[in-house]
Amino acid sequence: MDSADICPNPDEPLASLKTEEVKSKSGSQKIVTIRWTGAGKTFTSSILEYLTVILLVFLTSISCYLIKEYIGYQIVSFGLLILVSILAIFYGSGPIFLAAALSAVIWDYFFIPPQFTLHIDKPEDLMMLIMFFIVALLNGILTSRLRRQGQKIRVREERTQALYQLSKELNMASGTTEVSVIVTKYILKYFSLESAITLKAESIILGNLHQEGNGIHLTESDFDIANWVFKNSTPAGKFTPKQSSGNYTFYPLTGISGNMGVIAVEQQRLFTQGEEEFWDACLSQISGKYEREFLRSAAKDTYVLSESEKLYKTLFNSISHELRIPVATILGSSDTLMSQNYPEETRQELYAEISIAALRLNRLIENLLNMSRLESGYITPRFDWCDVNDLANKVAENLQNELKSYQLITIIPMDMPLVWIDFGLMEQVLYNLILNATQHTPAGTNIRLKISCDGSLLNIVVMDRGPGFPSSELDFVFNKFYRGKDAKTGGTGLGLSIVKGFINAHGGTIVAQNRAHGGARFNIEIPVKITEIHLNKT
Amino acid sequence: MNNTDIILIIDDEVQIRRLLEITLSANGYKISEASTGKEGLIHAATLHPVLIILDLGLPDADGIEILKKLREWYQKPILILSVRSAEEDIIRALDYGANDYLTKPFRTGELLARIRVAIRQSQDAREDPILTFGSLTIDLASHLVRKGEEIIKLTSTEFSLLALLAKNEGRVLTHQFILKEIWGMGYLEQTQYLRVFMAQLRKKIEDNPAKPKLLNTESGIGYRFGG
Repeated sequence: MDSADICPNPDEPLASLKTEEVKSKSGSQKIVTIRWTGAGKTFTSSILEYLTVILLVFLTSISCYLIKEYIGYQIVSFGLLILVSILAIFYGSGPIFLAAALSAVIWDYFFIPPQFTLHIDKPEDLMMLIMFFIVALLNGILTSRLRRQGQKIRVREERTQALYQLSKELNMASGTTEVSVIVTKYILKYFSLESAITLKAESIILGNLHQEGNGIHLTESDFDIANWVFKNSTPAGKFTPKQSSGNYTFYPLTGISGNMGVIAVEQQRLFTQGEEEFWDACLSQISGKYEREFLRSAAKDTYVLSESEKLYKTLFNSISHELRIPVATILGSSDTLMSQNYPEETRQELYAEISIAALRLNRLIENLLNMSRLESGYITPRFDWCDVNDLANKVAENLQNELKSYQLITIIPMDMPLVWIDFGLMEQVLYNLILNATQHTPAGTNIRLKISCDGSLLNIVVMDRGPGFPSSELDFVFNKFYRGKDAKTGGTGLGLSIVKGFINAHGGTIVAQNRAHGGARFNIEIPVKITEIHLNKT
Repeated sequence: MNNTDIILIIDDEVQIRRLLEITLSANGYKISEASTGKEGLIHAATLHPVLIILDLGLPDADGIEILKKLREWYQKPILILSVRSAEEDIIRALDYGANDYLTKPFRTGELLARIRVAIRQSQDAREDPILTFGSLTIDLASHLVRKGEEIIKLTSTEFSLLALLAKNEGRVLTHQFILKEIWGMGYLEQTQYLRVFMAQLRKKIEDNPAKPKLLNTESGIGYRFGG
């Protein structure tokens, strides 16, 4: 909304934004000052109004004088009366009184016989003059009052609009710094006041506001007033009983749970009653927003803290176990191999154990690395055209040892196009999902991999005939360190959350479900670019 | 294999060097070790190894820089053995002239196989126009491909692609390299062509296209024939 819509002084130009951040010596409060330097405004309009009124009355009188032969002097009074009524629509009571008086005198002097004297011969003319004056005045005053009322309603409406605008702008802001910028701008726009906001210091971090110019600069003594206002929840400073010698007026920003901070404004005069109501309404909105911001950051801090603590514990329990078991196996096996002369068969078994343990360690490291890549936001898919047949074959090849006692059934339609995905990431996704299936299902069962494309939506389904998920845990399976109750050893609970991370990096979704006749089912949907070329048809 | 075959290992990890030394010696190779890039360059110049195993994370220089310097004069195979497993790193190393790439941890069986293929290729100086892989024969001169007795009909692009891969048996060829060689510089981004032709070729020459033995995919990097 433009300032001219609402601002009581639409002529005032808006000028450059100047921001400043000052830190109080005590450190208990931080201050953001955002100053708008606007040009001052002058009031020459009322003089102009009087001059216009005089000019119009004279012009009308002259016109009437020219045609007075044809209409008679009495009709002239109606002409002047109409003029005064019309003027009343545009001007206040002062100019209207002037117009009424002036036109009465003019009528008397120039029109009522004898002309060019103020003397009136006929008593009915005198009556008419008096009536003319009264009617003109009443008419003018009534119209002007109506106009004022209309104006009041308009002002109220504008203020409602302005409040709505404020709440809209505040809603879009996030972080106390952004809120402060919006608030100071808003106060300048709608109140033509420069302001500075100080907020309580806990749990807020002010951004690096650009520093330039010398806007409202709160001195140490100003800070003392602000602190007093903050503690006592009472306005202070200029135009208030407390500390009235200062340059600024300080208002507390009071929320439900106490004061959020203090706002200082460079007020030139007292607020009118209407302005004060509007001001209070704005302040309560602003305080509410700051309160929400504080609560939000507090909640976030608590959440982050408890999450990281939980994560740390789980990580420690899970990882230390997962690391130690294979290391113990490797150490134990190699010790045995070195110390005694066991039969060749036993030695081979121990070698195999070492190999398995090392692979397990390697898988854990891969998972941790992938997890940390995901956590640090480092994952950016390297998109390329991909033949999903190739993808499925590659995964089956990589998992051939794990899949020895299972039947992997791959279903890909004949008209499957090439899809635009990251081959490496999707290979990891399928690897983890199928490996997961082998770890949770009895040997000898089927694992199905179905890949299809519906329009530009790539659909991948991995299904098994294992026990599925407990229905209460369906929502958690992608959580970090989630482990199924009956999982074989060797899992970290990272595999599925990595899967989800990689799918999300593709802009896709994955859901875990239980199949109707038993077993788990993962359903992946990724919006992809596809080629017109159909591989299996050619 | 003769006794002068020296393999140079440039790696700063003592344990890896020891493992390689034990494994390669047991397989009849002579070993020379260097723990820094600088040392590695000197050894390469004085010993003329048949193959160099190079780590990318060296204490004194980036392995890629050493690779570039080696490639200024060293023609024999260079095999990268690194913990860096990002596709970008692998592609970069291959682009700068590495013959092959293995990431740590690796299986020694695979390492030995890659070494054998690389050395055989570099010593195979004669230009044999007929390449044989199991039941598959490729006659480069007459553009004829046979599987057993059966002649396989290939389009000219399919043949060029197969010939390029087969001539570089055991070596990873990056997507970009293949596109440049077969389709030309203007087609470096057109991987969809490559995918389609690879799928067709597999259908024509592989016993089981779902389990390719000759036309292998290297995830996100390229293709490798056999090996």
